Amino acid sequence: MTPRVLNAADRGEGPYIRRFTPLQIILHILIIISFNGLVLTGLPLHFSSAPWASFMVTMVGGLQAAALIHRICAVITFGYFVTHVGSLVLSGRRRGFKRLLWGPESMVPQLRDLRDIVSQFKWFLGLGPRPQFERFSYMEKVDYLAVFWGVAVIGFSGLLLWFPAFFSRFLPGWIFNVATIIHGEEALLALSFIFTIHFFNVHLRPEKFPIDLVVFTGRATTAYLMEEHPLEYQRLADSGELDRRIAPPATRTNYILGITFGFAALAVGLFIIGLVLYAVIRG
Amino acid sequence: MRTRWLPAVIVALAALPASRQAAGAQGTGVVDCAKCHGNREFIERRSDRQRADTLLYVPRAILEQTAHQSLSCAQCHEHYDDGYPHDAQARVVPCETCHEQEGRDWAASIHKANASTKGDAPHCTGCHGTHLIYNSTDRRSKTHPLNVAETCGRCHADDRIIGTYFSTADKKTASTAVAKYYETVHGHALREAGLTVSATCNDCHRSHKVLPADSPASSIYRDSIPATCGRCHEGIVEVYDRSAHGVALARGDTTRTGHAAPVCVDCHSGHGIVRADEPSWHRGAVEECGTCHEQLYETYFETYHGKVTRLGSELAATCADCHTAHDMRRATDTLSTVNPRNVVETCRKCHLQAAAGFAQYVPHADPHDRTRNPQLYWTWLAMTGLLAGVMGFFAIHTGLWLIRVAIDARRRGDGHGARGGGTEGPS
Repeated sequence: MTPRVLNAADRGEGPYIRRFTPLQIILHILIIISFNGLVLTGLPLHFSSAPWASFMVTMVGGLQAAALIHRICAVITFGYFVTHVGSLVLSGRRRGFKRLLWGPESMVPQLRDLRDIVSQFKWFLGLGPRPQFERFSYMEKVDYLAVFWGVAVIGFSGLLLWFPAFFSRFLPGWIFNVATIIHGEEALLALSFIFTIHFFNVHLRPEKFPIDLVVFTGRATTAYLMEEHPLEYQRLADSGELDRRIAPPATRTNYILGITFGFAALAVGLFIIGLVLYAVIRG
Repeated sequence: MRTRWLPAVIVALAALPASRQAAGAQGTGVVDCAKCHGNREFIERRSDRQRADTLLYVPRAILEQTAHQSLSCAQCHEHYDDGYPHDAQARVVPCETCHEQEGRDWAASIHKANASTKGDAPHCTGCHGTHLIYNSTDRRSKTHPLNVAETCGRCHADDRIIGTYFSTADKKTASTAVAKYYETVHGHALREAGLTVSATCNDCHRSHKVLPADSPASSIYRDSIPATCGRCHEGIVEVYDRSAHGVALARGDTTRTGHAAPVCVDCHSGHGIVRADEPSWHRGAVEECGTCHEQLYETYFETYHGKVTRLGSELAATCADCHTAHDMRRATDTLSTVNPRNVVETCRKCHLQAAAGFAQYVPHADPHDRTRNPQLYWTWLAMTGLLAGVMGFFAIHTGLWLIRVAIDARRRGDGHGARGGGTEGPS
C-alpha cells in the first residue's frame, strides 16, 4: 500500500486523469462561497432564540449587512445555476443531448442507480460484493440533484420573500407564510445534508479521510478512478478515451489553495452543524 | 475647608443691619413684632436654645416676594400681638383657614393618616416651609416643578423614612422611586431640557391628596390612571378611551386568564417610563404586550418580523406598528388598523408597494396549529418529514458504511480503512 497522503485523489498509482473542467471547479467554489454566505446570514434568523444567534449577526456585520450578504449570495447562486444550465445546453448542442439525459455520463437517475443502492446495502450487510460505479455514483447524483432541487425550492421561496410587494399582486398573502417555512426548513435540510452526508461520502469516510481535492484540482490518479469509478475506467480504457484525459499533476499553487479552502469549508460546515445541534437540542 | 464658607458668613453679617433697617421702615400697624423678632441680638439673649434662635429671628423683610407678603404676623400668629408675654390664647392659625380645599385634600391623604399614627409625616410646612413660602411658579419655591422631586425626595429618598412607612413589598420600589424618576422621560425633560410642564411627583401623585395606589380615591389607583396621565396627554387618553383596552377598562372586563385591561403604566410603567423612540422601548413594548397576549407573543416570534426584532432590528414591525400604540381595536372593528378592510393600508406603512394579497398574510402564524393555519401545518409537516426522511435514510447509510469498513479492516487486520471494500474486484 502506498503511503497515505492528505488528498484522497493523490493516492495510488498511475497518471492523473482529468475529471472536472475548470468551469465546473469554479462553479463548485462559487457554490461553497455562496452556500456558506447564505447559511451564516440565514441561520441566526432561523434559530433567532439560540444563544449564539445575536453574536453571529454581529460577526457578519449586523442585521443590515447580513440581509445584504444573504441577497448577494442568492444572486451568486442564481448565477452559478444559470451558468451551469447554460453550459449543459452548450454541451448538449455540441455532443448531443442524449448523452446528458441518459447513459453512463448522465446525471439522470436510472435503473442502474436503484440496483446500486440495493447492492450497496447488501455490501453493508455482508451479503454481496461492493457495487461498481460508473462516472457518477448514486450518491453523487443525489448531491447534484439536491442542489438543483434546493436552488429551485429555496431560490423561489426566497424570491417570494425578497419581493413580497410584487408577488402580492397575484398571490394570496399566506403564500409568504408558506414560503417562510419552506425556505427555512429546506435550507436546514440542505445544510444538514451537505455538512454531514456530503462531507462523509466525499471526504470523511475512512477510504477518503480527511479530504478529497478532486473537485478543486479537477484531477485524480488512475488508481483513484479504478476504485471509485471502476466502470467508467473500464469504459474509457476500452474506448481509448482514457489516454486523451491524462493530465499532469496539479500545480503546487492549485494544491495549496485547494487544501486550504477545502479544510476551511469542512471546518465551517462542521462548526455550523454543532451550532444547529446545540440550538435543536436546547429546544 | 473652613475658609470656604467664612466669606459667606461675613457677607451675611454685614447685610444684617441693612435688613433690620428695612424691617423697621416697613413696620406697619402691628404691635411691633419686629422690635423683638427682628433683633437678632435680643432673640439670642432671650433663648438658650440655638434652634429657637433661628426660628424666632424673623425680620419683617422675610415675607417680601413670598405668597404671604401682604399678611401681617398676627394673621397667622393669632393673638401674639395682643401683648407680651404672649397671650395664653395665642396660636398659629391652621393653614386650612384660608387654604380650605388644600386642607381638605391633605386631611384625606396618606400623609395625614401617617401624621396621626406615627407623627412625623409632612404637614403643610413640611413641604412648603414656614415663612419663605413662594408661589409654586416662583423658582425659589419648594414646590416649583424644578424643585418638587427634591422636596419629596427629602423623605422619599430617606431609607429611615421608607423603612418606617412602607410595607416590605413596597420598600424597594419606594426607596428608588425618586432616583428612578430622574431617569424617566419626565425626569429628563425636567432636568435636562428644563421643561417645567413635564410631569413631576405631584402631577401624578397629586399635591395634597397623596394616596397609595391601592386606595380607590388615589390619582394613581388603577382605574384613575388614564385620567391622571390624560391631564397632560389629553390627545392620547382620548384615543385610549375608545380603544379595545379603554373600552374594556370602562366595562371592567378581564381576560380569561384574569388580566384586567391595561392602563398607561402597565405598558409604560410609572417610574421606568422612557421615550417611545428609545431602542429599549422598541423591544420592551413587545414584552409588555406579551405579558397578557401570550399566544400572540409566541406566534409573533415565529414570523420574520419577530425573529429579526429578537435579533435587535429596529426596522421590523412590532405590535404597535400594526395595531397602533393606543388605538388598538379588535380586528372585527371596522375602525381597526388590522380590520381586513384596512390591513393592506397598514402593511403599506412599511411595504410601500404592498398589493391586495397582503391582506391574507398571517402575521401571527403558528405552523403547529392544524385548525388555525392548515396550509402552514401541512407545509411544515411535509418539510419536516422530508428532512427527517432524507437525514434518517442517510444516517443509516452512513452508519452501516462505517460498520462495514470497520469489520473489513479488522478482518484484514491492517488497522486502515478498507479501500476497495470487503469483496475485491469486479465480479
